[in-house]
Amino acid sequence: MSEQQVYEPRIVAFLCKWCSSAGSDLAGVSRIQYPANATPITVPCTGAISPMYIMSAFNKGADGVLVSGCHIGDCHYIEGNYLARRKMKLIMELLEFIGVEPNRFRMSWVSAAEGAKFAKVVTDFVNDLKPLGPQDKLKKAEHT
Amino acid sequence: MINIQDIRETARDMLTKGEVRAVIGYRRGSRGMLAEPTFITSAEQADELVWDPTCFHNLSLYLVHDRKFLAHIRKNAEAPVAIVAKGCDARSIVVLMQEHYFKREDVYIIGVSCEGTGVLDERKLAKHLNGAQASNVAFDGGDFVFTTAEGEKRLPAREVMADRCLECRIPFPREHNIVFGEDKTGRQLEAPFAALTRFEAQGTGARWDFWSHHFDRCIRCFACRSVCPMCYCDECVVDSITFPVTTETTAEDKANRIRWIERSAVRSENITYLMTRAMHLAGRCTDCGECERACPVNVPIRLLNNKMEREAREQFGFEPGASIGGPSLVASFLDRDPGDFIR
Ligand code: SF4
Ligand code: SF4
Ligand code: SF4
Repeated sequence: MSEQQVYEPRIVAFLCKWCSSAGSDLAGVSRIQYPANATPITVPCTGAISPMYIMSAFNKGADGVLVSGCHIGDCHYIEGNYLARRKMKLIMELLEFIGVEPNRFRMSWVSAAEGAKFAKVVTDFVNDLKPLGPQDKLKKAEHT
Repeated sequence: MINIQDIRETARDMLTKGEVRAVIGYRRGSRGMLAEPTFITSAEQADELVWDPTCFHNLSLYLVHDRKFLAHIRKNAEAPVAIVAKGCDARSIVVLMQEHYFKREDVYIIGVSCEGTGVLDERKLAKHLNGAQASNVAFDGGDFVFTTAEGEKRLPAREVMADRCLECRIPFPREHNIVFGEDKTGRQLEAPFAALTRFEAQGTGARWDFWSHHFDRCIRCFACRSVCPMCYCDECVVDSITFPVTTETTAEDKANRIRWIERSAVRSENITYLMTRAMHLAGRCTDCGECERACPVNVPIRLLNNKMEREAREQFGFEPGASIGGPSLVASFLDRDPGDFIR
């Protein structure tokens, strides 16, 4: 990256199939403008997201990780997002604990009808990540 | 005060009657004053048993080994195994039973109370002894009494005790078949999570400086995993040994197999390992302190586990090893779990 180029954070977004993934589609078909920094990975349910996925995304160079799913009460599998809420809280606390900037990890509830909200979540995340610069704390060194 | 003869008598009696297959306890070791684990199977060996401030080992690890061994030789246990367990050890046993690793009737818990003290921290002791060697150590009320070449040396236990014992909330094995020593729950020598609180008072930058230094130092010997009774998985996510290699497997397939963590001991991989381990122990670690003690390079692993323990307690009202029938931390939830961090 040359000096002049603007830094564009890379976000790995774990989106649940039933809500947030559909929400991101809606943002697209509604032609809402939002930054193209997030690489979506569709998962069946936020409850299926292992903290390992998050560590792995950072390990492979993600500048930020987003986890998004159905609102509480709307989970397709009834309670998957309740389980996610606990696990994600724990990994979030642990990341902050070792000194990773809190703004590098984010969680949101975005329903299939909330295209505009999805666009806002990504936009806000990108804006918060930009001042932090590239994430190199958890990233695998090039030579390994 | 616990009279060691009572523990020996219990072991002797059960072995004589054939009520247990073996007694897992502590005996005098071959390295200075330190006790070591012992597995006794005959009544005559009962006199080997000792109980002193160097009985740090969490012996429930050997219940796990025993079960793995029985599975390997395809045998069922003929009788239970008895085990000497401190408060934190007994809580590990409870977690193992909660996870259906074995049944309550498979184990006979000989509980020992830490009463007003706990176990020794060798590193703290080394500073006090100034290079001298102790050949023996005994509990004596609030003191530890050491036998050295220059004679007897008495130190207030709280100066040389492990941090976790100072902060221990329940220095008593509530789950037991028989128990020795008084229940002094509430004797609290330091506030719970005191060391953690001191560490967390620092800012993000200072915390990262501290951890990156320690993550660099880890040599990935996996001693922390080997010594932990909760790390019982047959295949750890860290080892990518589950990948089936057949004659059809191409070099490319091998190269592209999923490796969550590389084996090389470099910072990024050490972080992924230690963070994953902390997550996998959340709600299961009972702060027995063995991982940190076993670490050859003194990575402060306890802080990570302690952090998870405190979050579990404060955010979710969860206490590891509290009850055999209770739910596990990450497989349960409450409506009132915090959610205000979610946008
Ligand atoms: S942590 Fe508590 S129960 Fe465990 S050895 Fe120390 S004082 Fe005893
Ligand atoms: S933390 Fe310590 S005990 Fe664990 S793998 Fe690293 S060096 Fe070994
Ligand atoms: S993680 Fe460490 S302190 Fe916790 S149960 Fe395992 S060995 Fe004991």
